[in-house]
Amino acid sequence: MSSVRRVAHLTPAYFSPDSYVGGGERYVDYITQAVQGVGGFEQRVFTVGTADGSFERNGFSFRVLGNESSLTGQVNGFSAALWQELPGFDLVHIHQSLTIFGAYSTAIVRSLRIPSVGTDLGGGENTLMLRGRGIELFDGVISISEYARGLLDKSYSGLHEVLVGPVDTSKFSPDPGSARDRSKVLCVSRVVPHKGIDRVIAALPPGLSLTIVGRVYHEPYYELLRRMADGKNVHFVVDADDEKLLQLYRTSGLFVQASTALDIYGNAVAKSELMGLTTLEAMACGLPAVVSNTGSLPELVPDPRFGLVFSGHDQLCTIFGRYSTGLWPENGAGALARAHVINAHSMDAIGNRLTAFYEHVISDHSKQWTQCGS
Amino acid sequence: MRILIVSNILPPKVLGGYEIACGNVARALAERGHEVFALTAAIELPHTDDPPWISRGLSLHWFHPTEVSDPSVKQWRLHQATCSDFSNTARLIAAVRSFRPDVCYVWNYMGIGGAGLLAALNAADVPWTIHLMDRIPEEIASNTAPHIVSVFGGTLHDLFAPATVIAMSEHLLNEIAESAGLRFTGDVELVPGWLDLPEPHTHLPYRRDGITRFVTAGALQPTKGIDMIVEAAGRLRREGLVFEVAVYGGGNAAPYVDLVNAHGATDVVRLCGARSQAELFGIYAESDAFLFPTWEREPFGFAPIEAAGCATPPIMTRNCGASERLVHGVHCIKIKRDVDALTDVMRDVASGHIDLARLGGTAARLVRQDLSFARWIERIEAVLARCASRPRNRSAVDDPRLEQLAYLQDMLALQMRFA
Repeated sequence: MSSVRRVAHLTPAYFSPDSYVGGGERYVDYITQAVQGVGGFEQRVFTVGTADGSFERNGFSFRVLGNESSLTGQVNGFSAALWQELPGFDLVHIHQSLTIFGAYSTAIVRSLRIPSVGTDLGGGENTLMLRGRGIELFDGVISISEYARGLLDKSYSGLHEVLVGPVDTSKFSPDPGSARDRSKVLCVSRVVPHKGIDRVIAALPPGLSLTIVGRVYHEPYYELLRRMADGKNVHFVVDADDEKLLQLYRTSGLFVQASTALDIYGNAVAKSELMGLTTLEAMACGLPAVVSNTGSLPELVPDPRFGLVFSGHDQLCTIFGRYSTGLWPENGAGALARAHVINAHSMDAIGNRLTAFYEHVISDHSKQWTQCGS
Repeated sequence: MRILIVSNILPPKVLGGYEIACGNVARALAERGHEVFALTAAIELPHTDDPPWISRGLSLHWFHPTEVSDPSVKQWRLHQATCSDFSNTARLIAAVRSFRPDVCYVWNYMGIGGAGLLAALNAADVPWTIHLMDRIPEEIASNTAPHIVSVFGGTLHDLFAPATVIAMSEHLLNEIAESAGLRFTGDVELVPGWLDLPEPHTHLPYRRDGITRFVTAGALQPTKGIDMIVEAAGRLRREGLVFEVAVYGGGNAAPYVDLVNAHGATDVVRLCGARSQAELFGIYAESDAFLFPTWEREPFGFAPIEAAGCATPPIMTRNCGASERLVHGVHCIKIKRDVDALTDVMRDVASGHIDLARLGGTAARLVRQDLSFARWIERIEAVLARCASRPRNRSAVDDPRLEQLAYLQDMLALQMRFA
């Protein structure tokens, strides 16, 4: 690389109470950090909001463009100011690509002939991008799991890379000074039905405690969980900050992620768990993990020495039984889990692969334009 | 040069001067040795005399004789007419790829999905010149919300930014600035209406036999001031002046027949129907003055220039487009656009108070020297050459995803408008 590359990240919302606090928004934060760690890239995040503005956060420049969409919903926002803002960038990474925001941004970026990369973060399934094949306008696609990639395979034929992560493994790390309580099972997720927390409570045996960490987004479900927890050793932490969460990762014995494609109310859930980031964070903190066979979750635990997959209540009961009696995992599982996350999902690992992908896309784009005119 | 012409309609179907001018310019460019390919809409009229370089493959969503009452269908048609019709855009992209023009010469795009077409030219980085004979950018602006336009090119200004502009008059440019908020800041050339008359007719003596022969030609519609002419004729008839008015042009004549009757002007006003351009030149040479009390936003007006070229002095609205080229009292008589002013001038002419021979002679000289087609086709050629020479990425034309982009833009616009 001979000079600094300018990369624009487009996202319909940014990780902040002023915008939206969700996994997709946090992903953009992490991605920019991962790229920054590699060096050689100047990045700017563009998003839409109620009014124009700019701010700096963690050394990154954010540009908020006034939303011009008449449609409701964050992922339906857009701004024509992108036409003026984007020229000069070497590459544009469009997050939440399968939304109106993504489709609109894609049309502009392609019109400006800037190399583009798209990523679906689960915010939509826009038919213009999928059935209409607007997704083919990307010069490359980053999927956040093999599962996510599989959802796009029929619609996208170009460069496609799977990058699961990144996780900040320096932040999410074990604390040798903190004692672990092996009987403490930890579940970290928003309190919504498709997270399948009910399945964990239902299978929880006597002798194990369960701490559920996450904001409540579905009150009836929360009430249901509380009723199910009656008589069991279950604790809800609905307002944990980052520090509290980290402390729980460092002091618990087992992490469980039980998301489901069919929730307890019988509702089918599309694209459940494109990437289970909390599972990776837990493993980075040295926790063995048990995950359901939903979405991307099985990909996250490729080694049974530190991670197991369950498909239903009986299997989860069996796993809890083996865990309670010390049959699984063997000693050292936590260290293996952390080593795996560092190798495959850390900021460095993802940053290096992502920047290499960016370079590949920019290079291919340049060659394509030369070839098609020759 | 390889010149790709895009026009909603080409002769033999004609709505007004726009289509005739496009057809004449296209033919002249081909005759001057340029490789021309013209993409236009399918028409219902026989067109077996078409040269091989005309392709009538576009769909026209405008000027349908059938009226549709369903408002949603109306909206849909309007959207395709002014904003985008993917099938038309795809045909343009295919033409751009196969013909590989040095320049695309865009005429009236009303009815064929203008925003989509212009966006495709921009995406393919094809240099393009637009010939404005009407305020057609306003058709996009007034029928398409800004956030939908933004799918195709940011703002209307951004969409037109790469264009080289030929406009008929300053008046038209000001109209577009006021009505569409679009002020062209790049390469703009004024090319007025012209006279394409290879064999000049000798004008017959003026006011022969003591009769003053007024003539007008154009679509039968209020904007052209036909109503005012009929009313003025009625007044002058009652004053006992000796004159006649011949009205040539297509359109719905019924209301004007009634109007002529209402003003008691049946023996002085004749509704003569449409005539070919060649026939009109002969008619002008036999007439004494050309009446053109057109609306003030008339972009130009070929007809008064053609009449002037035949030594028939125009009596015209003082601030219409063509008035920029003719001097009051030297080549024409300019009037405030109202019936009183028109009546006064017609009275002066019919009373012999105006030296028609002098006015007609100077008007004919001006038009034949300064407003000749031969002169302006050279200027058009120079503008196109200048446009074609601008830096461009020629590989953009071969981007295999141009249709995909056009489709996404078309569908997004539809979703934003109708979903």
